[in-house]
Amino acid sequence: MHISEGVLSGTALIAGWAGTVTCTAIGLKKTDTSKIVRTALLSSAFFLASLVNIRIGPSSTHLSLLAPVGLILGWSSFPAMLVALFLQAILFHFGGLVVLGVNTFIMGIPAVLVHVVFGKMMRSENRIFSGIMAFIAGTLAVMTGACLAGVFLGLSDKNFLEAAKLLFYAHIPLALIEGAVTSFMIMFIRKTSPEFLS
Amino acid sequence: MIAKIILGLAMIVSLYSTSYAHGTGYRQSSLNAVALEFTYSTGEAMSYREAKVFSPSDEKFAYQSGRTDEYGRFAFVPNTKGEWRVIVRDEEGHQCEAKIDVNDDEVHVVSENLQGMELTVRAVLGVSLMFNIALLIRRRQNAHQ
Repeated sequence: MHISEGVLSGTALIAGWAGTVTCTAIGLKKTDTSKIVRTALLSSAFFLASLVNIRIGPSSTHLSLLAPVGLILGWSSFPAMLVALFLQAILFHFGGLVVLGVNTFIMGIPAVLVHVVFGKMMRSENRIFSGIMAFIAGTLAVMTGACLAGVFLGLSDKNFLEAAKLLFYAHIPLALIEGAVTSFMIMFIRKTSPEFLS
Repeated sequence: MIAKIILGLAMIVSLYSTSYAHGTGYRQSSLNAVALEFTYSTGEAMSYREAKVFSPSDEKFAYQSGRTDEYGRFAFVPNTKGEWRVIVRDEEGHQCEAKIDVNDDEVHVVSENLQGMELTVRAVLGVSLMFNIALLIRRRQNAHQ
């Protein structure tokens, strides 16, 4: 889901940075410093997830963990993802520093959205219901991220619909895998450390 | 009658010369090509992706353009010394830029494929940085209280 350096126009880059700076400021304000280690843990998981390759037929992709990060951290996802994506850019050459604002926005917004929509459902007494909702949250987070990436590519290229369509279809297998991973993670966290979802 | 014959002959000659001017041929080149392989971070080849070559003398207009093959390979023949760039991109926002230093007697390609131990060390470094920053913030917070 990383957009590479040199692909986007100036307008798209400025729009991405504006969104990321605003949302990161909100995230920092809402971050409880007593839970900073939890934020670092999720940020590390997000940072490392990009190294986990998954084979889908003839092609392969990597995990993103947008929904688990969003469901646990909420608005704190933005600073967590900004740091993780910065380190991915300088250590793994994924994305880039100029395009960091756009990449953070593309991945941060779905994380916050799933927290707002599905956050309370993760604490439901019905475990199966929570698991199903976590699956839907994981799937929707990836698809929302893919659509946002399509929008930013569209701002830089006239073939907006083509780019958006291509990204949408290409991310369907990953979305389903992320849904399953999110569901498993939420069920496990509910069992072992339910305070993570508080 | 004679004029018609001359005109007919002139047409035949002009047709022949035209086709001869557009004739084609080939031979094995003795020039050394620079061959590169482009992959995604997952290790998958960047198959059939748009590729553009930029020479050191003109960084705006491509010296050559084309597509990678099934295995993500692309080759070109540099015609001058200096730093050449090859940019391969797909429709999903991925782009890879290769830099090639061409000297009199050698071609130097700086590889950017992280693998094995180097990748592990960088991953550990990243995680360590994040936890250290978090612990630093918590320690400062505790000191203030």
